[in-house]
Amino acid sequence: MAMNELDKLETLKEILFTDDREYAQKIAKRIAILEQTINDSEKLSEKTNPIIRKQLDEFVEQIPSTLGPTITATLKEQIKTQKDDVVDAIYPILGKLVKKYVAQEIKVLSEKIDNQLDFVKRFKRKIKAFFGGAKEKDQLLSELSSGNIEQVLLIEKDSGILKASYAKTDAIDEDLVSGMLTAIKSFVEDAFNQKNQSLEHIEYELYHIHIQSFVNYYVAVVISGNYGIKSKNKIQDLIFNFYDNFMAMNLDLIYTSRHLEKQPKIIGTEALNKKLAESFGNAKI
Amino acid sequence: MQKSKKIVLVGHFGVGKTSLIRRFVKNEFSNNYQVTIGVHITKKEVQIEADKSINLIIWDLEGTDDLRTMRPSYLMGSHGAIFVFDVSRPSTFQNLNEDLALVNDRLNKVPLLVVGNKIDLVNKEDLDSLLQEHQISNHFLTSAKEGTAVDSLFTKMAKMVYGHD
Repeated sequence: MAMNELDKLETLKEILFTDDREYAQKIAKRIAILEQTINDSEKLSEKTNPIIRKQLDEFVEQIPSTLGPTITATLKEQIKTQKDDVVDAIYPILGKLVKKYVAQEIKVLSEKIDNQLDFVKRFKRKIKAFFGGAKEKDQLLSELSSGNIEQVLLIEKDSGILKASYAKTDAIDEDLVSGMLTAIKSFVEDAFNQKNQSLEHIEYELYHIHIQSFVNYYVAVVISGNYGIKSKNKIQDLIFNFYDNFMAMNLDLIYTSRHLEKQPKIIGTEALNKKLAESFGNAKI
Repeated sequence: MQKSKKIVLVGHFGVGKTSLIRRFVKNEFSNNYQVTIGVHITKKEVQIEADKSINLIIWDLEGTDDLRTMRPSYLMGSHGAIFVFDVSRPSTFQNLNEDLALVNDRLNKVPLLVVGNKIDLVNKEDLDSLLQEHQISNHFLTSAKEGTAVDSLFTKMAKMVYGHD
């Protein structure tokens, strides 16, 4: 029986389009998988990570030859133009390293001497106790008595303006003390005409002022009581730690802020006062 | 903590730097001249506006006839400077422009005010012709003895250094 026109058309359509439809379906399926891969970051990274890693490895390999000279030149320029700030930032770290090494060597030496002197000392104390009447225990106490930190001033080196302070008891006008201390310091340093050397210690009756200079600031610590090499050592450690933790951080922030639109918050005077109290308030020297 | 700024007073011997500071800080004057040795530091809080004030840390430097001998370390870190001359003694201002150039050079572009002090010792006409003759331009004419323009001098300086870093 002959096919009618409609059936013929249907058959023709089937012959013509079947392959294409299957093909189109296949493509649609592939697209769906691709879409899923792109949208799913994990799946995407599975594919892209090896490529990125490879490129990164190549980049790292090339850094010394491509970026190396630029970085070195930038660093050199930065160190040249901002020498003071760079020194200010690394001074506490270097200071700590050198101090640590020297202190260790001295400790070994002093232990050796102590061992040899211990017997002599005990003998001397016994003789003193016998003739002088002071108990051996009291003599030991007086030998061990340590100093106390009364006041700490963080002062701008050139202007003598007080940046932050800590005082155990009510102190006299700290702004004036900072100014006068700076004037005395400048005078002594000028008078001896020794560049790169600075006043480190002032002594008056029962008080000592320990001064540690950095490039932009200096720290003055007023100590009452005993102030020996041991206390000096401890105070230096306290100052280096404080400066490294808080002042060098301010410098970092100043550097970073030059390239940022929003200025980071530099540690202000109030916060520095608190940090000084925390760092020096309960410290044993 | 209050904002603090360092101000230095410079000038020849006996021009009245210490007296100007004394008048401003303590509102006192003494005819007994005492030479400043080295440096003397005082402090005064200055109200600039209703809610703005500043601590002036005033460095009174010893006078010198040759400003080149000024101790550079005392000038370091200054936020502002006042150059004082004595209107009754021409030797204190006859080289004013060179002196100012020297001070400016050492101060690194901070606000600087030029002050003719002791106007109570000369009459107005003589003073005007004297200043004109020596081509002296000054910002303030003061009398520490009578208190003329002393407050306005330091207030002006406080305002100048307030926003100046």
